[in-house]
Amino acid sequence: MFLHNFKYELLAQLRVRTFILWLLVFPIALGFFFKLTFIGIYEKDSVFNTIPAAVDTTEDDPTLRAVLDQMEKSDSPVIRVSYLSAEEADRKLKDDDVEGIIRSEGGVLKLTVAGLGMNETILKSFCDKYNSNAEIIRAAAASDPTKAGEISGMLMKDVNTVEDIKLVNGNTDYYTEYFYNLIAMVGLFGALIGLSVTIDNQANLSALGARKNCSPTPKSVSMSASLVSKFLIQSVCMVWCVSFQHFVLGINFGDHLLLVYLAAIFSGILGVSLGFMVGSIGRGGKDIKSSITTAVVMFSCFLSGLMVGNIKSLIGKFAPIVNEINPASVISDCFHCLNIYDSYDKFISKIITMAVMTFVFSFVGFIMTRRRKYASL
Amino acid sequence: MADTVVRIDNLVKRYKDLIALDHLTLEIKEGEVFGLLGPNGSGKTTTINCLLSLLAFDKGEIDIFGKKMTPTSYDIKREIGIIMQNVAVFDELTVYDNIDYFCGLYITDKEERKKCVEEAIRFVGLEDFTKFYPKKLSGGLLRRLNIACGIAHKPKLIILDEPTVAVDPQSRNRILEGIEELNRNGATIIYTSHYMEEVEQICTRIAIMDKGHKIAEGTKEELKKMIKNTETINVEVRDLTDDILAQVSGLPHVYSAVYNEGRLTVACSGGKHNLIRVLEVLQKHDMHIGRVYSELPTLNDVFLEITGKALRDKEE
Repeated sequence: MFLHNFKYELLAQLRVRTFILWLLVFPIALGFFFKLTFIGIYEKDSVFNTIPAAVDTTEDDPTLRAVLDQMEKSDSPVIRVSYLSAEEADRKLKDDDVEGIIRSEGGVLKLTVAGLGMNETILKSFCDKYNSNAEIIRAAAASDPTKAGEISGMLMKDVNTVEDIKLVNGNTDYYTEYFYNLIAMVGLFGALIGLSVTIDNQANLSALGARKNCSPTPKSVSMSASLVSKFLIQSVCMVWCVSFQHFVLGINFGDHLLLVYLAAIFSGILGVSLGFMVGSIGRGGKDIKSSITTAVVMFSCFLSGLMVGNIKSLIGKFAPIVNEINPASVISDCFHCLNIYDSYDKFISKIITMAVMTFVFSFVGFIMTRRRKYASL
Repeated sequence: MADTVVRIDNLVKRYKDLIALDHLTLEIKEGEVFGLLGPNGSGKTTTINCLLSLLAFDKGEIDIFGKKMTPTSYDIKREIGIIMQNVAVFDELTVYDNIDYFCGLYITDKEERKKCVEEAIRFVGLEDFTKFYPKKLSGGLLRRLNIACGIAHKPKLIILDEPTVAVDPQSRNRILEGIEELNRNGATIIYTSHYMEEVEQICTRIAIMDKGHKIAEGTKEELKKMIKNTETINVEVRDLTDDILAQVSGLPHVYSAVYNEGRLTVACSGGKHNLIRVLEVLQKHDMHIGRVYSELPTLNDVFLEITGKALRDKEE
């Protein structure tokens, strides 16, 4: 009986073109939109470029020159310097050809910059580190000249600290978060498919539901078959969504692609069960329930920061429990964990949370709808 | 004596302040084609929904096949076929798949189900449309599909709730013939409609409903005997004077004579030669007579006489 129901529910759902198209086209359209929007910003802000800087040759500092030469020899040098006269350096800075001018005054580096961006910060960090280490070397030379060379080598190596260090094997860039959020939203929109489980099985919501309720097939069987078929279809949509972003749009999800698939599938199933539960609660017709479900999904996305960036942190400060039970937050946190932490503990705990929520939502949905007589049809 | 298939006892259903069913009592015997006749809003569909345990009711009892009906009475539900007022099929499944799906809710054996589905398709005449999707079917064919989905599992009790609404005459006749055939094959039928002609044509026993009450019950002959009218004579005649009209009104068995827009309508109760007597009066005064016809009472007359309004007063 279950398989009979499952087969036809699946067949019917696969032919609901609007739903399928929406779930398949939405990630394509929005993914393309994100990609087009972020591609310029991404290359400017996120891809780490070598910083052009000028070194004022008014006072020649061989130690500085040695350190800078050493840094430029690396595969991805942080700073590329030009040795210029004071006037020429000033002109280059004015023309934005260099991000800053480094001057050595008595062995102490001074920095002149025209702005306050990330590149200027890096240059300042370099200068501060250099000055600090140079001070240590000078002190060491004064107390034990025999070890000055060794200390100098160690510390000057340490100056080259501003480099791209991967914390985890994922992709920590800020813009990938938007694509994770897109996956989360597609997952949650599964709520609309979940709602159809309620509509098609409730006598007060559809003629189809009324006819099913008159049959000897227990409602729990027809509903579970319907729900499982929707889980399956939504999972396929989620796999498509991730695959499209990764293989077509070229979004780099790091080395965790399989786990991204897993999280996406769980988020889709959670979305379906959310819609099933919301549809089963309370009275009202098909249109009202549809509107309520959409509103719940949108509100959940809003609270999780999928729409406005800092809402989630505000909620985390004043009502952290909301973030723990808000489906959209749980989903986005799951991707976030994958992105940020080297350990899988947090990711696994979020996956378990999603599984528990799916179970609870489905359970509530079944309890609210089974063996029900209606007050009106 | 035939067994009772459905027993509804003292059923009360309220929608807030509105009493949709007011102490309704019905008994339907095996092999009957039982008609529930009444205008829209009279409580027919509410009765069916309560009967099927879809709708909660305030008071009363419902037994089907001698057992109390509840939402989990699966053994009873197995023997019931329901054809809803609204077409209840999957738009995304073909004609064959729809019938197979609904039949599969009752019959698990694949071979048996296949046979039943094919028989149902033949029965409703959808052999040429098995691969069609419902949206491609005309209103009449869609109704036939709706019926096929309800009867494919060969139920003992078939409930048809206004199955011919918005159906062309050809499909309507086919549906009505089909219902009679299902009855001949042994099924007990409950048929709700506000089309009195259909109910008169196929029902062996009828309950007339109005505002949640059963106002009359019996065979069509029994119902017609309940009222005074036995014959209504219509004569097209020009310039009928009040004097002649008074003479017609005074004829034996005539209890009403009305002249309006060139038509004389004479209502009679009893008597055998009422038409001849009326024509004799008109000929005596050299009246020019047009069309003449006599009508036997209909269920609409029964409804009209009991409630003071026509059955289709409320029809949309």
